[in-house]
Amino acid sequence: MSKPLNWRLAAVINGFQDTLAYKSEFFIEFFSSAIVPAVIQLLLWYSMFKLGGAEKVAGQSYGDLIAYTWVSVLFSQVRGGNIDFDLAEMIRSGSLSQYLLRPIGAVEFFFFRGISTKLMVAVICLVVGLAVCPFTELSPLRILGAMVLALIGNLIAYQIGAALAASAFVWEEAYSVLMVKNLVVQLLSGELIPLYLVPENLSWIWKSFPFYLYVFGPTQYALGKWTHQEFIHNIELSFVWILVGWALVHISWKLGIKKYISIGG
Amino acid sequence: MQLSQYLKVYQVQFKNNWVREAVYRTNFLTSVVVDLIWMVVEASLFSVIYANVPTLGGWTLHQVYFFLGIFFASDALFSILFMRNYWQFSDLINKGELDILLTKPISPLFLALTRWMSLTNIFNFFLGMGVCIYYAKEAGFMGGWKWLLLGGWLIIGLITQSVVRFLFVVWTFWTERGWALSRLYYQFFSVATKPDVIYPAIVRYALLTLLPFAFVASVPARALLYGLSPLEYFWMVVVLGSFFLIGRIVWFKGLRRYSSASS
Repeated sequence: MSKPLNWRLAAVINGFQDTLAYKSEFFIEFFSSAIVPAVIQLLLWYSMFKLGGAEKVAGQSYGDLIAYTWVSVLFSQVRGGNIDFDLAEMIRSGSLSQYLLRPIGAVEFFFFRGISTKLMVAVICLVVGLAVCPFTELSPLRILGAMVLALIGNLIAYQIGAALAASAFVWEEAYSVLMVKNLVVQLLSGELIPLYLVPENLSWIWKSFPFYLYVFGPTQYALGKWTHQEFIHNIELSFVWILVGWALVHISWKLGIKKYISIGG
Repeated sequence: MQLSQYLKVYQVQFKNNWVREAVYRTNFLTSVVVDLIWMVVEASLFSVIYANVPTLGGWTLHQVYFFLGIFFASDALFSILFMRNYWQFSDLINKGELDILLTKPISPLFLALTRWMSLTNIFNFFLGMGVCIYYAKEAGFMGGWKWLLLGGWLIIGLITQSVVRFLFVVWTFWTERGWALSRLYYQFFSVATKPDVIYPAIVRYALLTLLPFAFVASVPARALLYGLSPLEYFWMVVVLGSFFLIGRIVWFKGLRRYSSASS
C-alpha cells in the first residue's frame, strides 16, 4: 500500500477504535441524536394537523411530513460531527504544534480520524434504510444515492467547519463561531423542519447555502420528491461547494498559521 | 455548618467567579451572540410553522413568543448559576477532584454544584425577559402585580432544571463518563423549547412527571396566562420534591461507591 493511503487508512482505523472504546456512549449518543429530535418533530406535525386542524401544509399531507421525519433521521445522523471543535481547541491550546512537525496536514488527518464514526453511522443507517424498503415505497437505489449525497454533505460540512475553526488563530473564543454555525445549519439543513415549509419569498436563504445538501436534499431524493436529473444536478452542485470549501480551508489556514504562536509546545 | 456560613462561602465563590470572568471579557460577547442566534433559530422555527397554521394547541404565535421569553430567561438563570458545574461533574469523579471537596467542613454536594458560575449569561437573562415583556400584552397577559409571579416561576424553572439535570449526571459514579448522559439530557430538554399544549396528552403527562421539563416554561407561561388549579400546584411540589429526594439518595449511594482516583 502506498504511504499516503497508509496513513489515511491508519487514521480511519484509529478513529474506529476510538469510537468502539466507548460503545455505550456511542449508542446512547446515536439513540439520543436520532430518535429524540425525530419524536419532537412528529409531535409538532401532530399538533399542526390533529390539534391545529390543518389538512395540508405547504402542499404536504400529514403522512408526507411523517415520512420526511423518519427518512431524514437516516441522513441527519451522517451530517456534521464535532471535529471542527477539536480543530479549534487544538489551535487554542497549542497542541497543533505536534501536527506541524509531521509530514501530514492536520486538517486532513482530523477529517480521516473523525470520518470513521460517521462511516459507521452511515452503514447502520443505510442498512436500516434498505431493510425498510420492502415494506414501504422507498427505492433501495434512491436510498443508496441519497446516502452518497449525505456523505458528500458531510465533507462539505467538515470543510466549512475547518475553515471557521481557523478563526481560533486570531480569537480564543472561536468555538462560539462554530456553535452559531451549528445552530444555523440545524435550521437550514432541513433537520428541524422540511425546507419546503419555509415561505417561498424566503426560500432563497436556504438555497444560497450548501446546508440543504446535508439532510433535506438526501431526504427529498430518497422519498422520490427529486427526479434523477435534480439529484445529478445537486451532486454537481455539491462538487462546486467542495471546491469552494477546499479554497476556504486552504486560504483560512494559510493566513491563520502565520499568526500562530506556540509557547512551549 | 449554619446557613450564614453557607452564604459566606457562596459570596466568596461569587467573587472568585466575578474576577475570573472579568479577565475573559470576550466571553460575554460570545455568550450573547450564541444565545441570540439560538433565540432567532427557535423563533424562526415557530414563525415558519405559524406561517402555515393560525394556532397550535390553541396558542397563538404571540403566546408562543411569550413562552419562549420565559424559557430563555429561565434557561439563562440556570446557565448563570449551575450549568458549568454539571458539565464538570464527571471530572470530579473520574479525576478524583471530589477528594478535595470531601475534606471540606461543608456539604460536598453544595460545593460541587455551586463552584462555577457563568455570570456573562446575565445579559441573556435580560434578553429573555425582554422578549417576554415585549409579547406579554399581545399574548393576553394581564401584567400589573402579576409580574411578581414571574419571579417565582423563574425560580421553579431553575429548581426543575437543577434536580432533573442532577439525576442525569449523578450516574457518573457508575458509568465513569457522563458526556453521553449529558447529551441525552439536552436532547430531552429540547422538548421544553416548545409549549406543552402542542403535545398529545400522554407526552404532556410525561413532561409533568417522568421528565418534568414542563415546569421550566410551559407551566409558568400557562399559569401566568390562564392560572393553575390547586391540584396542579400540589402535583408540581410532589414531582419536584420526588426528584430532589431520589437525587439525594443516589448521590449518597454514589459516594459510598466512589473510590478516590488519587489515593
